[in-house]
Amino acid sequence: MVERSALAFFASAVLDDDPVYTSADEASARGFEAIPAPPTFPFVMQNWGAFAELQAEGGQGAGLGMVLGPLMANGGLILHGEQAFVYHQPVLAGQTLTGVGVIKDAYVKESKGTTMTFVVAETTWSDASGAPVVTTTFNIIHRK
Amino acid sequence: MYSPAKLENLAIGDEAPVLTHTLTRTDLVRYAGASGDYNPMHHDEPKALAARQPSVFGHGMLSMGIVGTALTHFVGVGALETFSVRFARQTWPDEVLSTKITVTDISGDLVTLDVRLHNADGEEKVLGQATARLAG
Repeated sequence: MVERSALAFFASAVLDDDPVYTSADEASARGFEAIPAPPTFPFVMQNWGAFAELQAEGGQGAGLGMVLGPLMANGGLILHGEQAFVYHQPVLAGQTLTGVGVIKDAYVKESKGTTMTFVVAETTWSDASGAPVVTTTFNIIHRK
Repeated sequence: MYSPAKLENLAIGDEAPVLTHTLTRTDLVRYAGASGDYNPMHHDEPKALAARQPSVFGHGMLSMGIVGTALTHFVGVGALETFSVRFARQTWPDEVLSTKITVTDISGDLVTLDVRLHNADGEEKVLGQATARLAG
């Protein structure tokens, strides 16, 4: 569930003082049905409002952790290589969205005694009607 | 407060207002909390040094987020169609970071922008592209 306080906190963290993220009146005056999300919030939104009762049977909750967890447990350094967003409709406070993640590519390169693991993952978030809202794609590099 | 650019006033080569910020460790802690990304490289100096880094360093997504802030102030909230970047360099506390956003194409109401974040020496941290639909 997209939570309003998470949106305001995130906006402050990316140095955005636009009142559209803190005032429902301002959001309404700008044509939004509720407070909208800053453009990079979808990358982290699985970390907020992933309430237990919302999870699908067999759902995994935070998908990013499934990818990063085993790599981080292995030590070394994780670097974010690339990030992309495709916006289909605004992310708004109060929405309940469902994210489906897919590993698009994963490979390992050895170079000068260093092991580099590359992972490309795509997550598509959809609203309650099944319409896509936003697609995020990340490319990370684990170096050890 | 922030008035988006109007399509009829835009030309290729136009630049968005620059957002400049001196990065602090507090910024990194705030972003860690707001994003839920607690990778210790961004807040735990001893662990960063143990990983042979000169200090803690900024989240790549904080760099992209700062560019996103300047970008939405220019095109308007809700106008973005796509936004993608490559993370070229890490950011470090006390660096003065500035956005550089340039109109590279206008096709109907779809505006393409080159987006970057660089430090005071011109070292590029983030490079990418965005597209937005602008009202006239």
